[in-house]
Amino acid sequence: MGRDAILKSIKNNKPTLIPSPEINLESFEEEIDVLTAFKEKVALVGGTIIELDSVKNIDTKIKSLYPNISKIISCVDESQLGTILISEKTDPHKLESIELAIVKGELGVAENGAVWISENDFPIRVLPFITNDLTLILNKKNICSNLHEAYKLIGKRKRTFGLFISGPSKTADIEQCLVIGAQGAMSLTILLIDN
Amino acid sequence: MNHAKKAAIFNKNEAKVNWHDKALWYVREKRDNAAHDVKGWEYLREVASGIKANVLSDLDTYLIEFESNATKNGIKVHWASDAEEHNKIVHKVLETHNAKKVVKSKSMLTEECHLNPYLESKGIEVVDTDLGEYIVQIAKETPSHIVLPAIHKTKEEVDALFQEHLGTTPSNGNPEYLTNEARKHLRNKFLEADVAITGVNFAVAETGGIVVCTNEGNADMGAHLAPVHIACMGIEKIIPKEEHLGVFLRLLARSATGQPITTYSSHFNKPSEGSELHIIIVDNGRTEQLSREDFRSSLHCIRCGACMNTCPIYRRSGGHSYDATIPGPIGSILSPGKDLTKHSSLPFASTLCGSCSNVCPVKINIHEQLYKWRQLIVKDVKQPVVKKTVLKIVGKVLRNRTLYNLAGKSARFMLKYAPRFMVYSKLNAWGKARELPEIKNENFDTWYKINRKNNG
Amino acid sequence: MRVGLFIPCYINQLYPQVAIATLELLEKLNVDVYYPNEQTCCGQPLGNSGYEDDSKGACEVFVENFKEYDYIVGPSGSCIYHVKKHFDILEQTSEVIKVRNNAYELCEFIVKVLGKTDLGAKFPHKVGLHKSCHGLRGLHLGSCSERMDSHFSTEEDLLNNVNGLELMSLNRKDECCGFGGTFSVFEEAISVKMGKDRIQDHLDNGVEVITGADHSCLMHLEGMINRNNQPIKVMHIAEILNSSI
Repeated sequence: MGRDAILKSIKNNKPTLIPSPEINLESFEEEIDVLTAFKEKVALVGGTIIELDSVKNIDTKIKSLYPNISKIISCVDESQLGTILISEKTDPHKLESIELAIVKGELGVAENGAVWISENDFPIRVLPFITNDLTLILNKKNICSNLHEAYKLIGKRKRTFGLFISGPSKTADIEQCLVIGAQGAMSLTILLIDN
Repeated sequence: MNHAKKAAIFNKNEAKVNWHDKALWYVREKRDNAAHDVKGWEYLREVASGIKANVLSDLDTYLIEFESNATKNGIKVHWASDAEEHNKIVHKVLETHNAKKVVKSKSMLTEECHLNPYLESKGIEVVDTDLGEYIVQIAKETPSHIVLPAIHKTKEEVDALFQEHLGTTPSNGNPEYLTNEARKHLRNKFLEADVAITGVNFAVAETGGIVVCTNEGNADMGAHLAPVHIACMGIEKIIPKEEHLGVFLRLLARSATGQPITTYSSHFNKPSEGSELHIIIVDNGRTEQLSREDFRSSLHCIRCGACMNTCPIYRRSGGHSYDATIPGPIGSILSPGKDLTKHSSLPFASTLCGSCSNVCPVKINIHEQLYKWRQLIVKDVKQPVVKKTVLKIVGKVLRNRTLYNLAGKSARFMLKYAPRFMVYSKLNAWGKARELPEIKNENFDTWYKINRKNNG
Repeated sequence: MRVGLFIPCYINQLYPQVAIATLELLEKLNVDVYYPNEQTCCGQPLGNSGYEDDSKGACEVFVENFKEYDYIVGPSGSCIYHVKKHFDILEQTSEVIKVRNNAYELCEFIVKVLGKTDLGAKFPHKVGLHKSCHGLRGLHLGSCSERMDSHFSTEEDLLNNVNGLELMSLNRKDECCGFGGTFSVFEEAISVKMGKDRIQDHLDNGVEVITGADHSCLMHLEGMINRNNQPIKVMHIAEILNSSI
């Protein structure tokens, strides 16, 4: 039973070695405008995407999108809207009533409207999920074409926890009717800046 | 009861069959649209299949590499030969932490191991937090589809269930209202949970990390609130390198639901400070499947469900007709390996149309494996005497031209001259809903002799 | 070029008009066609039911009858697929290999080997094409809707050149009809439902005549149409192509 039995069984039963295939990434390359494609896909997956002229407009924009919100956590230097401070030592359960979290997006992926965020960007792992609304600040230069490129670009990171997040949480489990807002954040807004 | 009988019962309600069929065909069409959007889709499938073939041919090396890297990052790795061992390991972790409340996100492996009833018998509350799984849990049913567990339930049925279990007000099955009520209820469960159990979509050997994909965020809500996270995986979930996730994540959601990617693709490499992350690596019949040359590639499966959506039989019979944890085409080539007798009707629940093999993102030749299982089943599983005898006689007739002519003549004579009540009796399953062809005066052999006798 | 005409057992017995149409069509295309009269069956019904071993005798008879021809042509995608794919259970002698390599479904033979698509046929009706699965996905007679290949279809190439023929578009272009051999009997409920849905698709799209390259599918659909007295006809593609040339 257990490890040794499993490994022994595999060794006895596995076929002759088949080499791993060479992947020709050029087969997937397309002439596309990554920014336009990214914006289209974010909208397709139920996210909101807004291009800002200046980093200085972040807070104004967020205030206009969420006028009545008071419980805000900001994990980005560019926003001063945070009303609640957290650290790695905060009990994640205490974030239950957070209304808005503002987090830095590291990389956007045009083919699926996803943004890579990681533990570098927010101190408590549950934050982007437990918050009611989530806003990501993404530099529009940090958008790549597809996941193959994305994995190259995030390949050198310190690996703890990270995710590709594409749009707000959603489900279609009730008669295939799409409902935006399931267990995670009810909405996702991406503010594109140009630094 | 075999698939045919269950399917016949399902088909008594034609409106429901049409509804079920259309719902899943719609998902298949969404998959087609998403696939069209990807340049090089067929090549991507080829690559994915090749990666999986390499993995299976060196699986022990990759698993050892995975374990080593995961352990270095503070992850506790366990191994389970079978379902019982898996359940015991889960329970042991729970006991160590005095855990009484567990939240679970989608894991077909835990379904396969019947984990829920095992834990419940030990006095532990297990809540399935994927909305579809939650629905079937409170309905006391099993999932009928591996990605869309409650696809067989109408919104009115869900409404009734939620009224009973969540005290919701009647809403005619309003999906937004019901989803929101579930959100509130499940949120409390996440906040109170002692342990979170998830599945594993992909385990990366070179980093020792795992990826869990959801649309709802329920895996993460569970894993990041509870101090202990147990992730359960079959041995075949391994992929060699992180860059291979580019291939598989591009294929998975598109094949499953037609989305370009799931909302959340969470990469776990280290437990968070003060938390524990356990991974249980499970065999439960997989190494045995690995030994079967004809069926080995069924282990490529990434559990996308595309084969179910495209299967005209699955759409019209529903997942429960298969009576197997994993239903549909892939289930029909995995399950006989576990219990040939119990699942002997499954490889025959198919016309071998081949559509499943074409939509499979990892190019499992499902329809060919169905054909091969049939050959094994008739040899090893007791066949209905009538079927076996008739077919063996047919074999003898078809290899003997004289007998063949005789059989042909008799059949034609019978069909032409026998009274209708004899021909369309209860024994004639063909004739239940179909006419037999009108018999012409001569067969082709006779016509040829008369009209072309100089040739041949 | 000597062509051996393969007539599936059920066509021989129950639908001789399809065999006659096939023969006449090939003759009109100036093909030197012979009918080996000791042929029986390709063995498919046994193979599909799990009795592959018991079908070896029938497969051997097939090879024996057709080994001396340059091509073997039959009006049935599923039978030809069975020969090409499942005759691997026989010892691969040079004769077996020759038969497997040179077996062709009728439309494929006309388009690929004879290089013809316009046969000068005339059939002024609204026609629905049923793309039988074994021919489509097994023999690659055409592209299928679930794969990302560019569109092509051997049967469409032929039908689009038939004078007056209007090829109607279906909602589900290549869904299985539900025949599946013994499936039609052992999983009768689903088989019938699948057939019913196919027929409805054709009716919903104004089809007058359903056609295809596999008469097993057509037999199944026709059986239901006749039982339910539905206003739609069924003809094998060989009959359409042969009808007026």
